[in-house]
Amino acid sequence: MTTLEGLSHGLTVALQPSVLIYSLFGALLGTLVGVLPGIGAMAAITLLLPITYYISSEAALVMLAAVYYGAQYGGAVASILLRLPGTPQSAVTTLDGYPMAQQGRAGVALFAAMVSSFAGSMLGIVILVALAGWLGRLATSFGAAEYAAMMVMGLVAASTIGEGRPAKSLSMVVLGVLLGCVGTDVNSGVQRFTFGQVQLLDGINLVALAMGLFGLAEVIGNIRKAERDGPPPHVSLRQLVPTRDDLRRMVAPIGRGTLLGGFFGALPGTGSTISSFLGYALERRVARQPERFGNGAIEGIAGPEAANNSAAITAFVPTLTLGIPGDPIMALMLGALVIHGIQPGPMMLEAHPDMFWGLVVSFGIGNLFLLVLNLPLIGLWVSMLRIPFRWLYPAIIVFVCLGVYSVRGSTFDIVMVAGIGAIGYALAVAAFSPALLLLGFVLGPLIETNLRRALLVSRGDLVTFVERPVACGFVIATAALLALPLLKGLRRRNG
Amino acid sequence: MRRDLYDAAWGGVLALLGLAVAGWAASNYDFGSLRRMGPGFFPVVLGLVLAALGALIAVPALARRGTQRHFAWPETVGVVGSLLIFGLLLNRAGLVPTTALTVLTASAVAPRPGIIWRLVLTVAVTALTWVLFIGGLDMPIPAWPRSL
Repeated sequence: MTTLEGLSHGLTVALQPSVLIYSLFGALLGTLVGVLPGIGAMAAITLLLPITYYISSEAALVMLAAVYYGAQYGGAVASILLRLPGTPQSAVTTLDGYPMAQQGRAGVALFAAMVSSFAGSMLGIVILVALAGWLGRLATSFGAAEYAAMMVMGLVAASTIGEGRPAKSLSMVVLGVLLGCVGTDVNSGVQRFTFGQVQLLDGINLVALAMGLFGLAEVIGNIRKAERDGPPPHVSLRQLVPTRDDLRRMVAPIGRGTLLGGFFGALPGTGSTISSFLGYALERRVARQPERFGNGAIEGIAGPEAANNSAAITAFVPTLTLGIPGDPIMALMLGALVIHGIQPGPMMLEAHPDMFWGLVVSFGIGNLFLLVLNLPLIGLWVSMLRIPFRWLYPAIIVFVCLGVYSVRGSTFDIVMVAGIGAIGYALAVAAFSPALLLLGFVLGPLIETNLRRALLVSRGDLVTFVERPVACGFVIATAALLALPLLKGLRRRNG
Repeated sequence: MRRDLYDAAWGGVLALLGLAVAGWAASNYDFGSLRRMGPGFFPVVLGLVLAALGALIAVPALARRGTQRHFAWPETVGVVGSLLIFGLLLNRAGLVPTTALTVLTASAVAPRPGIIWRLVLTVAVTALTWVLFIGGLDMPIPAWPRSL
């Protein structure tokens, strides 16, 4: 199928009324949770996961994806108006967005964020289509050794490139992989770590784990934090209009941000949060007057916002063509695909053209919808910021309970979410990343299966990971990623 | 000097957990060989890795100053408690009383005191839940205790 045929095929899928409605619903819900500090895309997607059991696989994925990129739009609103990032990706937007709001240019800052997000997403779709076909063809030659090595590299990259101490990040990944071992072992049929509990035979429920680690832990941490004083400023439509100078300044940062985000989004392990931080750093470095940054430079909004939206789209490349999710949100997407019996991989484009092209086209429709609707609705989103968190979180808790219960009618799962939530919060307070735990949990069983298969083929010879050039490349990259923090630590000690 | 107690404690917990996992897996599941990995292979190896990482986190943490971290105890107890109430009560008391009690418990740890707004919220969320899940989605949960 050529790209053009694919796109027209995708159009017929994405324009089905049911798919369209779920896409619009997801985009609106995503914007809402992005706007509200205290709930993020992660929590919203986990809350929606149980619903995806009841709708078609295309509608489900299109909806979840729309929540994800919708939240990227919404996140900027609270960042700019209140200096409270609505999502982690929009944390850098506070640096120049909030100063602009204080100078009375909140409207222009919001406009810049929306337009950059839109441009970043649209160009991200182009990168996605180009990369997916190429990577899919490349990956058809991958064997079990390559897959195992690549997934290990992704996990190590996610732990050492991100913030925090590498040992702490790696420990969360390993803990996640071990949690993934719970349940019946697919290769031998042995029940591992079930301790006689029938409910654990199928393993720990992904929905329960994600809801506890994200939905619940975020609620606990935000009850006090999200309570603030003073209403947000009023923003009218007229204030959104930028000057010609503003527009001129936005063009190049959008281009740079898109390329940067598109690249880092497609790498397994690095996602949209890292992209937006790198996008900001890049803009400040290339700026002729770097001192303007931090005092309301519109480039400091355009670059990172384009980068994180572009990364949010290209994050689907490894997820769909390799079956390897690059960040925890993609891990949930993969989980939703697997729930519907679709195993993503190199054959994705041929085996499930409806899903792939339908998603691609829905990205375009959803982003267009967000741009067209969000600019006029900006007043509504701003007024959402007036709702205190204490009105929301008890309802979120009830929805979490019912969401988990609806998966298989088990109150055992609700009690388990309570326990996971408490542990997840305690981990988050101590600056351990629950996101990496979830990533390890999803990738763990895939790594184990592929490792087993690779060693079976090579008759137990570990040299297979060095002999095969592609696998060897991944192994070397993994070693380099592990050595990086060690070298940094040594230099700090000597210097 | 205040040590980094959070890292020390978590590092210790993870190290012990890793050892326990590796020990349990080694004595209960077949380890196999590199050629034919048994069900015990992955847990044993990774349990040992986790133990090493835990030690790597805990030992240096004892020698450095920790950052002050705020642990929201009341909120944790309130939220976890409200979930436990929901989980334990749902099949016995039905959806409406369970939801009401859950919301009342959860809202007790909000930064704003007072009972009026909590009662209003309880009624609103309970009504919304009933409309959505019993009226709309027709979930097979009793709305009231069975004896009624």
